[in-house]
Amino acid sequence: MPAVTFDQATVAVETDHSPEPKILLDAVTLDLTERRVGIIGANGSGKSTLLRLVNGLVQPTSGMVTVDGDDTVRAVRKVRRHVGFVFTDPLSQLVMPTGREDVELSLRRSVKNGTERRNQADAALQRLNLLHLADQSIYELSGGERQLMALAAVLAVNPKILVLDEPSTLLDLRNRELLRRTLAGLDQQIIMSTHDLDLALEMDRVLVIEQGKVVFDGTPAGAVAAYRALCLHSLQAEGQDIR
Amino acid sequence: MRGHGFLLANYVPGDSLVHRTPLAVKFLLVFACGLASFIIQDWRISTAVLAGLCGLFLLTGAGIKRLWRAIRPLAAVLLVIGLFQWWQLGAPTAARIVLNILVCVVAASLLTATTPVQKLLDGVVKAATPFKRIGADPERFALTIGIMLRSIPYIAGTFADVRDSARARGLERNPRALILPVFITSVAFARQTGEALAARGLGEAED
Repeated sequence: MPAVTFDQATVAVETDHSPEPKILLDAVTLDLTERRVGIIGANGSGKSTLLRLVNGLVQPTSGMVTVDGDDTVRAVRKVRRHVGFVFTDPLSQLVMPTGREDVELSLRRSVKNGTERRNQADAALQRLNLLHLADQSIYELSGGERQLMALAAVLAVNPKILVLDEPSTLLDLRNRELLRRTLAGLDQQIIMSTHDLDLALEMDRVLVIEQGKVVFDGTPAGAVAAYRALCLHSLQAEGQDIR
Repeated sequence: MRGHGFLLANYVPGDSLVHRTPLAVKFLLVFACGLASFIIQDWRISTAVLAGLCGLFLLTGAGIKRLWRAIRPLAAVLLVIGLFQWWQLGAPTAARIVLNILVCVVAASLLTATTPVQKLLDGVVKAATPFKRIGADPERFALTIGIMLRSIPYIAGTFADVRDSARARGLERNPRALILPVFITSVAFARQTGEALAARGLGEAED
């Protein structure tokens, strides 16, 4: 498995409300080599920032992130060729009117011949059983179909690592199950944030993020228990009745 | 999101004469129609050109519904333009202006309904290749066209959603309640699209 390494990676942003920069991620040091890595935590805890560091969409303010030894800042183009990124909302990811056209767009850089590109796009769609939806407008697809279409467009270029930012958040139960089964059948290393604790339990390793820090790193069951405890503690601290 | 009316017709697979016509000829037709809209001064000629284009569109097998769907989003704007021009310049000029706009829309729809987007983009890349000498990236030209085709229905859909929520709050007559949210959503969409393109390594300079 490829190795994603965080070395004291910190992300801080300037805000209007405070003279001090806001710390989104605080000196995170990790070595991710497992096939399936889950990230759980509250909204705004830093999960998306951590994922965006892997693809170079966010650059560390200090520290370093590497993918197979390549710095995500200095070698960002090489890193992006190996790291596919799936966003929460597929509508912001699919940039072409139909799924087939979007998959073909992914392939434009690597496959110059139009017929070959079409064949490879069809093969990528067929792998996820989406060929029958290839020419439908992306607006006519269900949420789950759109998310799988976005996944097909990313997988078409065969990345080594697949990063998914809460891919099941907008999906109903059936589509979540469909996505879960699809992800389970992939060969790529998967690094995924999620609020779906059942999905998190299927990972090999799960991190719990809280206020920009990794507060738990270990087994899925341990991580889910730690996350639940954190939530309860936070509610109690706010004086909420949690009986 | 709903109400994603598409100003231009999506590609309809087929084997009609227009489908088989080389892309360059179809490009030229659209260009010529755009030029003609400035030159034609008689509403009767505009009507004849529009009728011809509509006939060609129907010949492709794309269907009258698709033709109507391409025109419908413009109907309100055309009505306002037509009434204003009628008041200012008289009925013949108003008719000519409205018909000439329709000529451009139907010609562009004819192109998009009979040409797969990837073929269209390949054509744009080919046409833009000479500009490589002055540092332009033809793939970026193509990507820009692709994103434009995708963004029009998104923004139209956003407008429909915002109009509905303004209605639900009794603010349908407040232009600020309509324009500001559409503007903010469109800017957010542009940012998200940029991020998605960057994540996929699209739009970067060739190696």
